[in-house]
Amino acid sequence: MEVFGDLAGGFATALHPINMAMLFVAVVLGLVIGVLPGLGGTSGVAILLPITVFIAHGSLPGSDATTAIIFLAGIYWGALFGGVITSILFNIPGEPWAVVLLFDGFPLAKRLGKPGLALASSFVSSFLGALVSTILFTFFALPIALKALEFGPAELFAVFVLSFATLIGLGAEAPMKSVAMLALGLLLAAVGFDTVTGEQRLNFGQISLLSGISFVPVTIGLFGIGEILASAEEQGIGFVENISARLGLQDVFAAVGELRKRLRLVLSNAVIGFFFGVLPGHGATAASFLGYGLARQYSKNKENFGKGEISGIMGPQAAADSAGVASLVPMITLGIPGSPTSAVIMAGLFIWGLQPGPVLFIQHPDFVWGLIASIYLGHLLTFILCLLAVPLLAMIMRVPYAIITPFIVVISIIGSYSLNNSMLDVFITVIFGLIGYWLRKMKYPLAPLVVALVLGDSMERELRKALIAGHGSPLYFFNSGLSTVLLVLAIVLVLIPLVRTIRARRRGAAPPAAVAHP
Amino acid sequence: MRPYQVATAAAIVLIAAVAMFDSRAAFSPSAGTAPGDVGSRWYPFWAATIMGVASVFVGYRALTTPQGVEGAFAGAKSLFAVLKLAVPMLGYALLIGGIRWRTTDFTYTIVPPFGFYLSTALYMGLFAWWLGRYKIWWVGAIAVAFPIVIFAVFEIGFRVSLPKSFLYDSGILPF
Repeated sequence: MEVFGDLAGGFATALHPINMAMLFVAVVLGLVIGVLPGLGGTSGVAILLPITVFIAHGSLPGSDATTAIIFLAGIYWGALFGGVITSILFNIPGEPWAVVLLFDGFPLAKRLGKPGLALASSFVSSFLGALVSTILFTFFALPIALKALEFGPAELFAVFVLSFATLIGLGAEAPMKSVAMLALGLLLAAVGFDTVTGEQRLNFGQISLLSGISFVPVTIGLFGIGEILASAEEQGIGFVENISARLGLQDVFAAVGELRKRLRLVLSNAVIGFFFGVLPGHGATAASFLGYGLARQYSKNKENFGKGEISGIMGPQAAADSAGVASLVPMITLGIPGSPTSAVIMAGLFIWGLQPGPVLFIQHPDFVWGLIASIYLGHLLTFILCLLAVPLLAMIMRVPYAIITPFIVVISIIGSYSLNNSMLDVFITVIFGLIGYWLRKMKYPLAPLVVALVLGDSMERELRKALIAGHGSPLYFFNSGLSTVLLVLAIVLVLIPLVRTIRARRRGAAPPAAVAHP
Repeated sequence: MRPYQVATAAAIVLIAAVAMFDSRAAFSPSAGTAPGDVGSRWYPFWAATIMGVASVFVGYRALTTPQGVEGAFAGAKSLFAVLKLAVPMLGYALLIGGIRWRTTDFTYTIVPPFGFYLSTALYMGLFAWWLGRYKIWWVGAIAVAFPIVIFAVFEIGFRVSLPKSFLYDSGILPF
């Protein structure tokens, strides 16, 4: 039971005063970010990423890279919880994964007059979901990492291909749009010096592009500025339903009672959410909808769904938080982000001089186990803060649009500039903000773009290493049983949408979109 | 929605075509550094090709399948709501670094660099006055308070140096 010893060491690291202080700050920031409809967890983490450079390099007494990752992950945990508050109280989702709570969370709060119970139900199920996921993380991470240490370039390339295939095959958007976004991400990652030969490419003579397009300003633009533009169009900010935001102890006890009645649902959704979250690109949002579907499917009270059914809150919340935690598993063990947010956190690792992947467990065990221990502590802290500070957090929604919106833009600009002290990065943020807003409108998925941008360089390196090892023969990828299985699995995943379309046509299903021609 | 979908797909195809042209050396026999290496242009060439082919397909589907009747924006109100945010944001980004015109011999300064703090004061103040319709003293307070708090947190607290204005260079302002 080596794991328990490692975890104990992790707790010793995470409980260090500076780490706990930064975890507290991060969770509070994450809750605020989660509550604000114009700012998502991904953009919040991306905007604050440059600050972690200073944290990782010891700007604060006793801080190091572990403090930095605890800080970034803490923002994510806070955002996972915070996003639900506005969904339940104001019918405005603070985060994409909280959209599903509009179906039953808001009706329970408003129509049935039980906002405290709705909030407490969400928090207890989120906490339990995250706890289950963290326990699975604790026991699965090391074996996966040890297995991954045996991977050569062919296997690593196959893992990259498989992760991209899941984005295409299991994505909610049109598969060809996912393919286009993936390829765009790979193309952007290729800008600048080629890491193997040192040749310039895709910089069109611009010296400022030689070092490539940095991942952080692109992500801040796509998610931060893009979201705020989308919010401006929807004009959701500023409209606030007037529901009491008080949360009493009796609500918590009532929620725990309801949880006991639905323990099987919550635990099974948490486990499913974990395995779903491990798949690249399918973080908390997709899991929340899956969790809602499962809760409804297996409920005896299907007719109550949409009218304030507590299973419609607990089911998706357990799955969403579990998937949120699980999205860090492939990032830490394989160097492949499970969600856009974990992609940003992974970019942080590169910036602090760490190499995400199995070697982390060998070279920096304090870092990995400190992070894992902090997930337990972070969720406990978030849970307690949520119970205590809901009225305060709800007040953030009352900050006027004319102040909060430009402030988010200002913070985004600081985030993009401060990483490289580059005005080019500021313009990249603004341009990608406009691009991200438009792509979102045209229903192009942004997650494949972000994941491909982060992984593009590594994927090319492994591909070329494998080809050199195989003297240019693509058959080299099929020399290993594992890479063959992974590549075949990837092909199957890519074919899923095609099979789905053919089956739908055979059944004579109606076209999905409206039928009128513009 | 059809024209917008087609135009978006066409724009992506155009980007792909430019990238493919830039990477046309992908098939040069002397591309790689070692036997079996495909060289630096091969990967971007095929990424661009995949992107282009996928976008052609997306554009074709948009042309041949039923599309929603709604436009890209719900109405003029939605469009203006976005422009109200996007245009000042672009102005804000330009104001920070200033606007210069470079020729081979000279660089003309059209707008001097306002730096981060002065630009933020103007940007926050503009929103408070224009969209918030606050009284002038509130506008002034917001315009002054935000840059000062940001200066304290980032410049002093985290030691993040943000761009300074032309008034900083002449010693008039500390930022």
